[in-house]
Amino acid sequence: MAQISRQGELVYLRMSRGERRALRQILERLEPLIDHSRWAHPRAYQEDEDEAEFQRLVGTDLADSRAADLTQVREALEGEARILLSSDQAMAWLRALNLLRLALAERLEITADGWEEKYTVQEHRRPPLATLHLLSWVQEGLVEALSVD
Amino acid sequence: MSAINELAVKETGAARSTSDRRDRPWQVVVWNDPVTLMSYVVFVFRRLFGYDLTTATRLMLQVHNEGKAVVATEPRERAEVAVAQLHAHGLQATLARD
Repeated sequence: MAQISRQGELVYLRMSRGERRALRQILERLEPLIDHSRWAHPRAYQEDEDEAEFQRLVGTDLADSRAADLTQVREALEGEARILLSSDQAMAWLRALNLLRLALAERLEITADGWEEKYTVQEHRRPPLATLHLLSWVQEGLVEALSVD
Repeated sequence: MSAINELAVKETGAARSTSDRRDRPWQVVVWNDPVTLMSYVVFVFRRLFGYDLTTATRLMLQVHNEGKAVVATEPRERAEVAVAQLHAHGLQATLARD
């Protein structure tokens, strides 16, 4: 199983070739779904006029930053088993993993709290739920590593 | 993130003029979603707003239990920057008049 730890200012991930391949495949499958997720285009304002002005200021920043985050993860997974991330890179991973989780949740039609209880233990152990749990595990590990003072 | 952080710079420029309406404080509201990890939400609140663990956890639980929480009250421009940053981190956030 992958290892995630903090080494000074860096976050250290160690993943087997199989784990990296699995994550790459997950990314490839879910990335096209991100833009269609109901969470993908958040509004800041209820009023259309205010929202239009907000979007004008933000522009394509949100899409650009998402693409950059996903690229960082993809490139790291194409490298060696030992992955060292700066704080900023680890943040990019966190945001990318969150995007992938949201996209998968959309596909699973998860819309309310308590969804975990709808599935059997066996279902939790198989894809696509197992995929969601894998993404959660990596995200939790990164949060924990980054939270070390 | 750099582009979104630049929103703060844009906001202070000539692109948007300050008016009385804009000087009023605005609330940054974060909404619950059933998927995002609680630990991640706490982490984002601490990182973006500088909250200690106790405060960030309390706000996260308020989002989770009540569906939403006001995580900051700021002048409109700063509130917009905060919302843009929350969006960039995948959280659902909106602005509301204080």
